[in-house]
Amino acid sequence: MNWADLLGEVSSSASAGSLETLLALWCEAAGVDSAALYADGETLDGETSQRRFAGVGSVELPEVLAAPHDDAFGRIDLARATLLFYPARRADDVGPIDVLLSQGSEIRRLRDSLRRQHFQDNYRLVELEAIYELGLAIASTLDLEQLTEEILLRAVSLCDARSGAIYLLEGEELKQRGTIGGYAAPSLRPDDPMVQGLLEANEGVEQRVLIGAEFPLAVPVEIEGKLMGLLAVADKENRQGVGPFLEADRRTLGLFANQAAIALENARLHLEALEKERLEREMELAAEIQQRLLPKGTPSFPGFEIAGWNCPAWQVGGDYYGYMALGRGRLGLVVADVTGKGMPAALLVSTLHSALRLLLEGSELGDSLFEQLNQHIVESSSPNKFITLILVELDPETGGLRCLNAGHNPGLLVRDEGSVVELEAGGMPLGLVPGTNYDSWSLEMGFGDLLCLYSDGITECAAPDDEEFGLERLRNLLLEDRDKPLSEILEHIETATLEFADGCPQADDQTVVLLRRCRDGSAD
Amino acid sequence: MADTMKLRVDRRDGMAVIHTDGYINNQGGEEIARVAYELIDEGYKFLLLNLAKTKIVNSIGISILIEIIEKMIEIEGKLSFCDLTPTIDKTFHIMGLAQYTNIYPDEAAAGQS
Repeated sequence: MNWADLLGEVSSSASAGSLETLLALWCEAAGVDSAALYADGETLDGETSQRRFAGVGSVELPEVLAAPHDDAFGRIDLARATLLFYPARRADDVGPIDVLLSQGSEIRRLRDSLRRQHFQDNYRLVELEAIYELGLAIASTLDLEQLTEEILLRAVSLCDARSGAIYLLEGEELKQRGTIGGYAAPSLRPDDPMVQGLLEANEGVEQRVLIGAEFPLAVPVEIEGKLMGLLAVADKENRQGVGPFLEADRRTLGLFANQAAIALENARLHLEALEKERLEREMELAAEIQQRLLPKGTPSFPGFEIAGWNCPAWQVGGDYYGYMALGRGRLGLVVADVTGKGMPAALLVSTLHSALRLLLEGSELGDSLFEQLNQHIVESSSPNKFITLILVELDPETGGLRCLNAGHNPGLLVRDEGSVVELEAGGMPLGLVPGTNYDSWSLEMGFGDLLCLYSDGITECAAPDDEEFGLERLRNLLLEDRDKPLSEILEHIETATLEFADGCPQADDQTVVLLRRCRDGSAD
Repeated sequence: MADTMKLRVDRRDGMAVIHTDGYINNQGGEEIARVAYELIDEGYKFLLLNLAKTKIVNSIGISILIEIIEKMIEIEGKLSFCDLTPTIDKTFHIMGLAQYTNIYPDEAAAGQS
């Protein structure tokens, strides 16, 4: 055996093969059966112990060197390693093998140390990469569920935790939105002393977050001091089992949670924006549909002029007006007001429109028709929804009017000679009580007379001091303008209410329908 | 993904595929190592780890995988991986596992090579 060659080989590689060759030679020289070398320092997983890294022989020597060792084994302490052998005997002067073993062991130790350092450096890089990628996710991952899962996976992995859970604040509670490796409480209260104790890393806290975990660690997920959630991990792993987290782990997790907070807030805002966009699209669609329900023009009735106007308070309104061709050449005019605003009101308006077309078009106005209409609305709407409605049937040959009112504002008939007749109010709104009876009444429309049907959005239009526009102002306006073109009267009503409101936002939908019997029997 | 590691083994001509389902941590890694060493004892020199149902690996798990890789190198075999999540793929590259293994997008690609 050329010791110099062997020393060279050990110096250059210090591989287990070469060391085991040396060990085998030593065993032969020393007359022992088995031998093993133990490293003096940290192992790959950070544990400090003397662990076997090379061994030969038929006897299985221990994995970890215990102190004191079993008397059955012999031991030689080398410079930076320990040689254990069996059977125990005195090993005198076995030549340069001791030196070779020492050198080989030292090289192995250094190599392992470098390897560990390299591993740890790389894993720090993995941590940095994870935090960096979470920063990228702020701009890209807007799916809240996906983001939450990703945050939890990375947090557990980075801390070498056995289990973990993530909670998001919803209302007053922290709701569990993901868990790994065990069972976590479904919800927590932020003001629970146990939660506070856990966040403050108080010793002896009996945590109830990760059930059965021995070593918990939790950090808040917060942005600008506002709590958004909680990130909890438990039981830091090593090769032997689990142990407590280090202060460095708390710092890493805290840093990670900061990034997570920004990413989660972005995702939440994105969700809100999407929802808002969806609602706006829905409202636009509802508004479009509702506009289609309103008359596009006015019907032509020789001897009469008709005009209507509607201004919703919101994008989608609850007012309705329409004209219907009734039986025997008569004309029906209707103004209605549905409870509520926005989409629910619009849907009920649509129901009303269909019902009116179905029940009234081509029919004669009879009291039973209103009962049927009422029943239809009762069955089609929710209990707290109702419709006020006024319907007028015009006989164009005689100027006769037949009126039905279901809880709506009284119409106004402005006589040509300057008096004003209030049509009867009263009657139960539609949709409230099934089986309600409705009575109609009749009056004549003379030449030059002007009929005005309107919704309470006109008369209840409020000024800054809460005074209402009122029936009196409407009556006076109609009297003053009764000879003007209908379009001008409508425009005047619109501007008058706007000026009266003096900047106050429109609180209710506004609708006006005008009908005038021409003086000379023909339309102007 | 299962809470504790579950493994399924497909034995094929010349190669064994270990399908993992769960967290590759200490427990998961030890389980993989146990099965891998059994397969090595059976004579398999090429092992493919299918990580389709694994979303998370920690440093303990990685260190165990490194030990398996070293063992495969020792017997002149090869440990390969497929169906890695982008995060795990990047982790393996940073940790240097990719230098000593093959990483495939899926089993079909692994089978073709």
